[in-house]
Amino acid sequence: MTESAAPGEDFIPAGLAALGIEADETDLAVMAAFHALLWPPLTELLALDTADVEPEHCPDLSRGPE
Amino acid sequence: MSEPLDLGLRAQATAIAAGELDPGELLDAALARIEQRNPALNAVVETFPERSREMLAAAPEGPLRGVPLVIKDEWPLPWRAQRFGAAELMAPTAPGESGPYRALRDAGATIVGVGNMHELGAGSTGAISYYGAAHNPWNIERCPGGSSSGPAASVAGGLVAGAVGADGLGSVRFPAAYCGLTGLKPTFGRSAMEGHHMAALTSLIVSGPLCADAADCRLLASVLYGSELAAGDAAGLRIGVVRDAVSEDVTPEQAAACSGAIEALVAETGGELREIELPNLEAATLAAILIINSEDMSGATPEKLNRLSPELSPIARGTLKYRMLLPAAATAQAQRVRTLMRRRLAGLFADVDVIAWPTIPAPAPPLEAPLVELPSGTHSADQANVRGAALANLTGIPAISAPVGLSGDGLPLALQLQAAWGADELLLDAAEALERANGRRWVDAAPPVSAPTEA
Repeated sequence: MTESAAPGEDFIPAGLAALGIEADETDLAVMAAFHALLWPPLTELLALDTADVEPEHCPDLSRGPE
Repeated sequence: MSEPLDLGLRAQATAIAAGELDPGELLDAALARIEQRNPALNAVVETFPERSREMLAAAPEGPLRGVPLVIKDEWPLPWRAQRFGAAELMAPTAPGESGPYRALRDAGATIVGVGNMHELGAGSTGAISYYGAAHNPWNIERCPGGSSSGPAASVAGGLVAGAVGADGLGSVRFPAAYCGLTGLKPTFGRSAMEGHHMAALTSLIVSGPLCADAADCRLLASVLYGSELAAGDAAGLRIGVVRDAVSEDVTPEQAAACSGAIEALVAETGGELREIELPNLEAATLAAILIINSEDMSGATPEKLNRLSPELSPIARGTLKYRMLLPAAATAQAQRVRTLMRRRLAGLFADVDVIAWPTIPAPAPPLEAPLVELPSGTHSADQANVRGAALANLTGIPAISAPVGLSGDGLPLALQLQAAWGADELLLDAAEALERANGRRWVDAAPPVSAPTEA
């Protein structure tokens, strides 16, 4: 996969077809633009090593972590 | 006395309580002001004079008795369901008594209108709405900020002295910053949320006040919290600053205004400045986006997405469908990042009282093309703005935006302060200290009020 990754031309139509979601050309253009913005940081997020982050059990967001 | 409608929130409330100001006349003045100025601002999308007068007639002796306010189109009222700035929502809505409505009613306030908002709450500019864009009173060609665009434009435009917004990814703080107001994003769970169509789902959205200054925000926040937020003095404030894109990839004017404000705040409080490190801010921003997307889409189905209203904007239609494709593993990872950042912040708040950085990287961009020019290049305002706001929503901490200057072309600049969970009062104290430090120059600055446009 190239660094620009974001293979929206494959990912988006395939994903929509799998879910049975219809999209016209305008929808696809918006989705491609959103995908190009979101996908690179999303892959970086997925690559982040969080194995040593002990999950919070039912975190109470009104307070700091226990 | 100047025009009563031009008094601040607490001044209006005090004058009414003292019998110096007739609340019926104030309501009539607010309705007349909306009729006069709203055509240029599009800040208020609906008024209901009879309902407002009924509220006033039944108003109890509360802290806001007789004070007219605007509430964002994100909350149901007994006579009106919220539209969320959109032709269609993924969740059902109906008229009802929302938490903010009850809080305002029980405080004696009069809801005079519903404030415009960015479509589906999904933008930081206010440039897209089912009702048409709201306009910034400082320059009606500029974005008012979003998603609480109408509440901010209502207060900055002098239609009312206070408004209730909501903040899921900066939606109180951005419009406060663009419109030269003070806006508080409460600690998660402290302010009224009942009746919101996502109240049971969201882990990010809170209701919050937008007013001219911190003391007015304190008054309105106390009503929304259901308990008085006591005032302190922020003495010895320890201010943490981050040398990162969030504070450095900003316009020179914004950087200078925020640096000057931080220095003034240190001097005013006898505090100190500490450089801190807060890695993974970009991951935190994306984590917040992924989590709010997943919560927002919980009612969506392929069938619903195939029957979206043609009145939704093309951006909303495309992004709603795209959100269905986001991998669940990314949202799970986002929750891990949330935990990571909450622990980091808990450690940092042992050493500093507040973390300061610019609320927005650049002042309000043109409505026609909401782009901002930053040292790193040209970005959409949404993309640039969110990185300074998402951390507070992701982790639950409170944050406040305060005006700290004007750009060369007369647009507000703003500083954001964030504090530990439950330290909302300290943020208000710090914002008041900042006002003292700059002689209230920026909270008292008034925008050029636009004349009504011809229909």
